[in-house]
Amino acid sequence: MKDDASYASRRQFLRTLAASGAIAVSDLAWWEEPFLSPRKAHAATTVRFEFYINEPARYAVVQSLVERFNKSQSDVEVKVEFVPQTQAHQKLITAVSAKNPPDCCQMWDQWLGEFVVLDALEDLTERIKAWKFYRSTVPAAWQAVTVKDKIVSFPLSITTEGIYIRTDRVKEYGLKMPTPDWTWDDFLALAKGLTKPEKNQYGFGMRGAGKWAVSYATELMYGNGAQVLKDGKVAINSPEAVSAFEWYIDLFRKWKVTPPSAPTDGFRQIVEGFARGITSMYMHNSGSVEEQKKSTGEQKFATLPIPIGPAKKRAAFYFCETLTIFKASKNKEGAWKFLTWMMEDEQHYQFCKVAGNLPTRPSLSERPPFTEAPYSGFVKSYPFAIVSPYLAYAGWGGKLDSEAPPLLQQAIVGQISPKECLDRWADILTKNMV
Amino acid sequence: MNRDAALATAAPRALLSHATRETLANYAYLLPAAVCLGGTVFFPILKAIHMSLYQNVLIRPQDYRFIGLGNYVRMVQDPVFWLTLKNSFTWVFWSVSLQFLCGFLVALLLNGQFKGRAVFRTISLLPWIIPGVVVGLIWEYIYQPNYGPLNDLLRRAGWMREPVAWLSDVNLVMPAIIFTNIWRGIPFFTIMILAGLQAIPEEIYEAATVDGAGVIQRFWSVTLPMLRPIIVVATATRIIWTFNYADLIFVMTGGGPANATQITSTYTLMQAYSDLDWGYAASLSVILLVIMLTFTALYLKLTKGVESVAG
Repeated sequence: MKDDASYASRRQFLRTLAASGAIAVSDLAWWEEPFLSPRKAHAATTVRFEFYINEPARYAVVQSLVERFNKSQSDVEVKVEFVPQTQAHQKLITAVSAKNPPDCCQMWDQWLGEFVVLDALEDLTERIKAWKFYRSTVPAAWQAVTVKDKIVSFPLSITTEGIYIRTDRVKEYGLKMPTPDWTWDDFLALAKGLTKPEKNQYGFGMRGAGKWAVSYATELMYGNGAQVLKDGKVAINSPEAVSAFEWYIDLFRKWKVTPPSAPTDGFRQIVEGFARGITSMYMHNSGSVEEQKKSTGEQKFATLPIPIGPAKKRAAFYFCETLTIFKASKNKEGAWKFLTWMMEDEQHYQFCKVAGNLPTRPSLSERPPFTEAPYSGFVKSYPFAIVSPYLAYAGWGGKLDSEAPPLLQQAIVGQISPKECLDRWADILTKNMV
Repeated sequence: MNRDAALATAAPRALLSHATRETLANYAYLLPAAVCLGGTVFFPILKAIHMSLYQNVLIRPQDYRFIGLGNYVRMVQDPVFWLTLKNSFTWVFWSVSLQFLCGFLVALLLNGQFKGRAVFRTISLLPWIIPGVVVGLIWEYIYQPNYGPLNDLLRRAGWMREPVAWLSDVNLVMPAIIFTNIWRGIPFFTIMILAGLQAIPEEIYEAATVDGAGVIQRFWSVTLPMLRPIIVVATATRIIWTFNYADLIFVMTGGGPANATQITSTYTLMQAYSDLDWGYAASLSVILLVIMLTFTALYLKLTKGVESVAG
């Protein structure tokens, strides 16, 4: 017979679990029903769904969405498999090569080209064009998920790059808060004003590691009239691109407005550096807005579009998270049912609200929080945002991961010149126009 | 008479002799293990060798064809490959040699009698117990130039004015991760050498003392020869592990900055899963295999008879 002490400790344990669960789903107040385990239908078919992003809030929202779908009908049971983001691409390649991919998965737009060439993705063109939300989705989103004239994925969310700024620091140092039409000179002046090395404070958290570092540098280069592709040829090493790139890496080399760790700073470092006050600006998409609201405080930061360059131009690349179905899926109908359910208004809105990326339908992106101040920098970028030129060829995705980051780092630390870096990058892109 | 004749007839001879049957039975017992070994070790090696002879880029299925030694020719002409090989040898040499020296010192200390020895022995094992990925994450935080504790301590002590970017400076990054690897690997040598020290009979030291040998002479003439088999095995094992396993590099630097910490095993992974060039990645892994086989052959030749000499 168990005594009261053991019952008490078990109650305490269950309460602690419930509290942890409550914290995990605290963003999901829209879920009216109690959070119960799914009803298991006897004859339900199974759909394997893989999801790749490693943040607790995203785990919670996807888990709850899957549970809700499973409860809402009895034909399909979705089993979600969470995979660490850093291993996602590798695991998916292995699964496709072994002819055992999941039925459907979340996929970044940059990977779609590769998997189309691998003949791994289902052509959804006809079905999506007949889908009820096809025309109400922003055209740029369809561009991002169209490869070789085939729509291969649902655009789950869309965003662009912008600049996060610590408004408290701007105020503290008596600087002027820039306007959305700020220029490179305004950016540099602000970065210099916010840099106090003796206090371990730097104006701009440059991202030096990974493919996004290359993408950010390229976006800024467009402000000087540079382009990745011009008349069908690679033009990333044009004189305009070289001079823009020199300006960009001079933020580290000459002006020293970036932390000394910039060459190897990745996503986590630039986001945390901003939250800790080490840096006062950084470039990223809207995906870190919700995190900064919690870490930095909603009143202490703002977002602005990328500054205008000397050529009176600027560009921001769209980034899309997508939902796709594999050709080798054993339950394509079930996968379609689940993904179209995920793209319904409430589900789509709730996911984007937690993820911080904008919904792909204006009717949803015109709802809070997307209309609030922290998102304004990204919304204001839409007029000049373009689909990433690095999506033009499937062969470029892998090179953006493998060869571009070391080249960028070599240029940042001064091992090679900016021109040599871009010449070699242009050569790689030209050889891989697959 | 007929019955006696029948009884006197020899029993029919078995097809196989007793010795042969016993040998076959032994092989039968080994067969499941051999099949597993074959399936998990030999088959992948043969498959990798086969793959390395083909142009096999996943996003270019139309270009798939036999190219013989084409991937190996490419490797010879690839400056990044030679850089990764140099980095690999630097990584292995400094990591293992300093792990061994430090591990030896710690083992000698722990072999003595002092209060709290059991506690120190347990603490000294901690770096080995923590998973490699966790070690990498912890040290990445320690080395963080902007808010990591190392720079903070150095600054407070007045030994540093500007933050040092340990993992972002191409000249400092390799020493920094080697230091982490040394910290992590010391317990391995400590355990192995301590076990060896405790197995040395006390009488040998007593005899040496009676013969007039001092501390250093006893160490050189008794301790080291008795430990030689353990040192050889531990060092060889550690060299092979360090050459192949890149968990620390993967977590702390990803091979950067600018390939400064890229070793051949991480480069192989990158070729396979970023460039999707499985032919070239297979050739890199075959070269790694050849290097390890060469090292193992040399090691077996050099250490032949070491165990019998020490015994």
